[in-house]
Amino acid sequence: MFPVALRNALRLGGLGYFLALLSTSAGASGADRGAATFHREIQPLLQEFCSDCHSDGAKRGGVAFDELNSDDAILNNPTLWLKALKNLRAGLMPPPRKSQPSDAQKRTIENWIKDAVFRVDPQNPDPGRVTVRRLNRVEYRNTIRDLLGVDFDTEKEFPADDAGFGFDNIGDVLTLSPMLLEKYVAAAKSIVTRAVPVVPLVPAEHVVKGKAFKGAESLEATRTNKNAATADGLVLSYYEHAGVSNQVHVEAAGRFQLLLDFTANERFVDNQFDYNKCRLIFKADGQELWQHEYTREGGKAFHYEFDQNWAAGEHTLALEVHPLTPDQKQVRSLTLRLDSVTVRGPLESTYWVRPRNHEKFFPRPVPEDEAGRREYAYEILTPFVRRAYRRPPAAVTMDRLVALAESKFSQSGKNFEAGIAQAMIAVLASPRFLFREEGIEVATSEAPIAGAFPEVDEYSLASRLSYFLWASMPDDELLRLAGRRELRKNLAAQTERMLADRRAEALVRNFVGQWLQTRDLENIQIDARQVFAREAAIDGDAEKRRARAAELRQKGEEHLTPAEKKELDDLRATFARRFSRPPRAELNGDLRRAMRLETEKTFDHVLRKDRPLLELLDSNYAFLNERLASHYGLTNLHVTGDEVRLVPLPEGSVRGGLMTQGSVLIVTSNPTRTSPVKRGLFILDNLLGTPPPPPPPDIPPLEEAAKAMKEKTLSLRETLALHREAALCSSCHNRMDPLGLALENFNALGMWREQERNQPIDVTGQLLTGESFTNIRELKRILASQHATEFYRTLTEKMLTYALGRGLDYYDVATVDRIVEQLQATQGRPSALLAGIIGSAPFQKTRGFTPAAESRATAASQQPIEGKTPL
Amino acid sequence: MNHPDMPKSAAQRHFALSRRRFLRGLGACIALPAFESLVPRSAFAGEIGAVTASGRPLRTAFLFFPNGAIPGAWWPKDAAADFEFSPTLKPLEKLRNSIQILGGLDQKAANGGPDGAGDHARGNGVFLTGVRIKKSATDIRAGISIDQAIARQVGHLTRFPSIELSSDAIRTSGACDSGYACAYQFNLSWSSPTTPVAAESNPRLIFERLFGAGAPGERAENMRRRQQEQRSVLDFVLEEAKGMSRRLNGRDKEKLDQYLTGIRDIETSIAKAEQFGSPQDPGVETPPSIPQDRAQYVQLMFDMLALAFQTDSTRVATLLLGHDGDNRSLPEIGIAEGHHDLSHHFNSEEKIQKLTEIDRWYVQQFARFLQTLEDTKESDGSSVLHNSMILYGSGNADGNRHTHSNLPLILAGRGGGVLTPGRYVQHGGKPMSNLLLRMGQVMGLNSERFGDSTAPLADV
Repeated sequence: MFPVALRNALRLGGLGYFLALLSTSAGASGADRGAATFHREIQPLLQEFCSDCHSDGAKRGGVAFDELNSDDAILNNPTLWLKALKNLRAGLMPPPRKSQPSDAQKRTIENWIKDAVFRVDPQNPDPGRVTVRRLNRVEYRNTIRDLLGVDFDTEKEFPADDAGFGFDNIGDVLTLSPMLLEKYVAAAKSIVTRAVPVVPLVPAEHVVKGKAFKGAESLEATRTNKNAATADGLVLSYYEHAGVSNQVHVEAAGRFQLLLDFTANERFVDNQFDYNKCRLIFKADGQELWQHEYTREGGKAFHYEFDQNWAAGEHTLALEVHPLTPDQKQVRSLTLRLDSVTVRGPLESTYWVRPRNHEKFFPRPVPEDEAGRREYAYEILTPFVRRAYRRPPAAVTMDRLVALAESKFSQSGKNFEAGIAQAMIAVLASPRFLFREEGIEVATSEAPIAGAFPEVDEYSLASRLSYFLWASMPDDELLRLAGRRELRKNLAAQTERMLADRRAEALVRNFVGQWLQTRDLENIQIDARQVFAREAAIDGDAEKRRARAAELRQKGEEHLTPAEKKELDDLRATFARRFSRPPRAELNGDLRRAMRLETEKTFDHVLRKDRPLLELLDSNYAFLNERLASHYGLTNLHVTGDEVRLVPLPEGSVRGGLMTQGSVLIVTSNPTRTSPVKRGLFILDNLLGTPPPPPPPDIPPLEEAAKAMKEKTLSLRETLALHREAALCSSCHNRMDPLGLALENFNALGMWREQERNQPIDVTGQLLTGESFTNIRELKRILASQHATEFYRTLTEKMLTYALGRGLDYYDVATVDRIVEQLQATQGRPSALLAGIIGSAPFQKTRGFTPAAESRATAASQQPIEGKTPL
Repeated sequence: MNHPDMPKSAAQRHFALSRRRFLRGLGACIALPAFESLVPRSAFAGEIGAVTASGRPLRTAFLFFPNGAIPGAWWPKDAAADFEFSPTLKPLEKLRNSIQILGGLDQKAANGGPDGAGDHARGNGVFLTGVRIKKSATDIRAGISIDQAIARQVGHLTRFPSIELSSDAIRTSGACDSGYACAYQFNLSWSSPTTPVAAESNPRLIFERLFGAGAPGERAENMRRRQQEQRSVLDFVLEEAKGMSRRLNGRDKEKLDQYLTGIRDIETSIAKAEQFGSPQDPGVETPPSIPQDRAQYVQLMFDMLALAFQTDSTRVATLLLGHDGDNRSLPEIGIAEGHHDLSHHFNSEEKIQKLTEIDRWYVQQFARFLQTLEDTKESDGSSVLHNSMILYGSGNADGNRHTHSNLPLILAGRGGGVLTPGRYVQHGGKPMSNLLLRMGQVMGLNSERFGDSTAPLADV
């Protein structure tokens, strides 16, 4: 099981990372030895296997090995050799039809590249350098939740973060524009206002949740509404009469306020509208306080307040909904969701109480005297800042902060609480909160070698761990251990604890969401009608009608003759009739959610149960609920209900494994049809780690394809075959197309299909590496057996990128290789992957500012900047 | 309000109706002359920039639509004053005297050349910068964009030096175009070669930024109170940033510099609030967040831009209607396929037809916006459009072939009288940067070069 394995894996690495374990022949190899080896062993191999295209005047892909005319040019070009290494390992170079080096020869080249060019020092591997990271939207939201208990919707309030290397937590590309900073400052204020009470006493509030109102059933709330507040609402239809009520009891007579909160929702339907109206009436003790008519309001929230003089005792609150438009078509499921009615009072100050959360932030009474208040301010703010900055604050920071609080609470009319709140706002706007500042461990006498790359300090390590596994701040335990410098000693136990925590869902959600692009499911548009139309017989009349309507529209409505105008109106009516019939499946919110969960839960299952990672490629189970099982045509499995859960698949099922999950099939489709090219690319890029280069900028052969298309409607397979005839296209499409075409039995909605455009679907194919397959089941087996190493390496690279917040470079090859070896040795256990990443040099250390290391890396990874500097 | 292409079908009428709740108020505001109180005071009169000869505010906006346009349907037959409107540009016909069609302008820096694939990243990233952008997923390097260059020079005249808008809120995960950082493809504005200026895509948030949060009438006070509270926060964080900065190096320092720039910007805006007084409350309800309906969304963003200009909140703006490579479908006009997928049309007539409809749809939204500016009169009777320069265009010319020559570009407005619209002018293969430089100079940009410009564009 997972915990034990993880602990062993991390122990194995222990604190010495993989120093002792690193397989190497390098030793203390110097540049001279590297050059000598090159001339003796490598150059003959290059001559034998590569010279046709890469020397003697040939310079395919811009690479000519014989242009490396000095030892320096040979040895100081890690970028070139990294490409060579990748192509060699993937079997892409030399190309399959050319003569191939033996495995031993390949290893010779690999080892030389790693030893002589990358100069991996097993005693002191280069950990690389991460640019200081700004919290991204997800991290900010989670951090605020854990710091203050407030759910702040960053997706709504902040602009999208830029991504690099496929992930949105990459330090280099997380920029901070003035507008975003303005938003951070505003957010700090609104978050603290929501969390921290700024007055010592307030009128009592009793919130009656919508669900507590009785008299009508709540319609099922839309499942996309995530937070608890919406789940507590009572959903009433515009189309039905309803009357609901609730009794409240008040202890004392006095002035009260009633706060009514509700939201008017609709289910979005493309191009169809709902003209229904309803009247809402709000009553207290039978007396009407409010009535109003509502039409379609587009999800708007409403808030009203009413003053009441109430006697002590029972009072009745009631709401009525009256439909006003019985004859209108009901298209968009218009609903009013009663969120809550809040009874505030008595308003007379003698009845006031401490506000919610007051005790949490102000555990003891506020002292009267100035010195006492100042001391209390330090007492409250110091632990808060330590958590917000994820390390102990400097004394000068605390002095400034307390001074800031004091300047506010010493103002007349301002109290202590308001001063503390103002200081907290400043903390949330500070760069030390918004950026993850890292420090290095002060060198101790235990330092293994002089000049070794330093470890990051334990507070930095705590943050690296927590943002990797939780996408959030370290909790108190991590900070406590870091404070005692005991975190490194307890890494295995802590990792285990963190993974067991609910917050670890963030790893699955964010890593998988971006690696496999399941995040995009939410917004992707697939036109179900068009998808199904490809599977049905071709309807020539419908095509003609469409073309005619377009032609008429193009003329411009103002230029149409009355006859043409009538014709256009008739055509529109025909379309409208066709569109009013729902297609047999639609990519709605429920389905999107089920598909996203299927992929997330698959990964979560493998991760937490420490199942072999190859089950991600091929497995005999799937995660389904009723809706998804029926979408996949698996009704015989009798999956019922809404919960997405593990379901064993029958022998020979085409499902099982990521490639045939709806999420992957959909995000790799076009809005109206499948895209074998996108699917092939997805597999190469995200599962096998050998993405082809992007297409060339100008693609003349497409014109040829187009000519052929005019004569006859080609199937996708035929079009692609035509495409591959061009040498320019074939080198990459020979790799992408067979993979993508193997999935052609799955339409753009991820459903099984047998034919397209009246033609049966042919999914047979052969991989560039030689293996043939006749169906998707065979392809999965081939990938999971023959290509397991590529998959391990790809997943390792992706997850390491996510964990480090930077792109990988040549000096990371050793780290990745080491983890892949561990995966091979453990049959691909996720525990080995996580332990490998967390124990690795780049995760544990930093390059710091060693000038030599910095300059070499700069030379290798930065190219001269082209173009002019403007102005 | 009088719009050139008011939607006609029942369904479309309803879009208009549901928007009306917001626009009813806005309409009243548009009918008013632009706010007098915000016309620059005499203190600025001696300075150059962003003012017309008659002393009215001079505005400029740069609008970007995705994936180029079908050339055959975009370009009118003859380059002349009496040109006949092409199918795609037809919605602009009523505004003939306010627009000029610019032919023969190129963005050579967007050509593949040594960098190979990535024409969408380049089409987008080069559009307003005119420089070759660095092909890298992380080491971002473009150039300052023309709007930001102008804002540096004339931004002090208004409450906001510039505003950056986008009606393209959704990002997809995974890598972006061919090894280019996503930043190139989603940002038009760059305040420095390494700092893209993120655009605001939520209409509600733009409105609140311009006028303050809350109900009509309460906004100015809310904004004032907020800024007052910000002061003490700013003092503190500035000290923290200095402390942090001492320990950072290289790239890290760049990040912190972005932070410090942001802090200075907030300080400037507080100072400006004192200088300009409270913003005039447009007296309309705050608009909703992003509507689901595409047309409604795009129109709302245009409304925000119009409002910013009318209230003289800023004189410089960009609006990214959709990023280059945008693959959204437009079910509103019956197009289910993705825009980018369609744009590689294999010369299929059906696809070209659909693309032409998309191109025309964008032009329709643009025309509607221009009409709003035309209908808004300043106190001297001239229209806001008369006193503006609005550039509308795309970073790809032919989306099928990814070309960046003879880009589809339209310049609307008279720039307060210095421009001569009502024509289709062929410029015969000059850098688009020449146009950007010329526009910059009209706005008061004190520079002889921009991007890969060779000279300011003549005959505009």
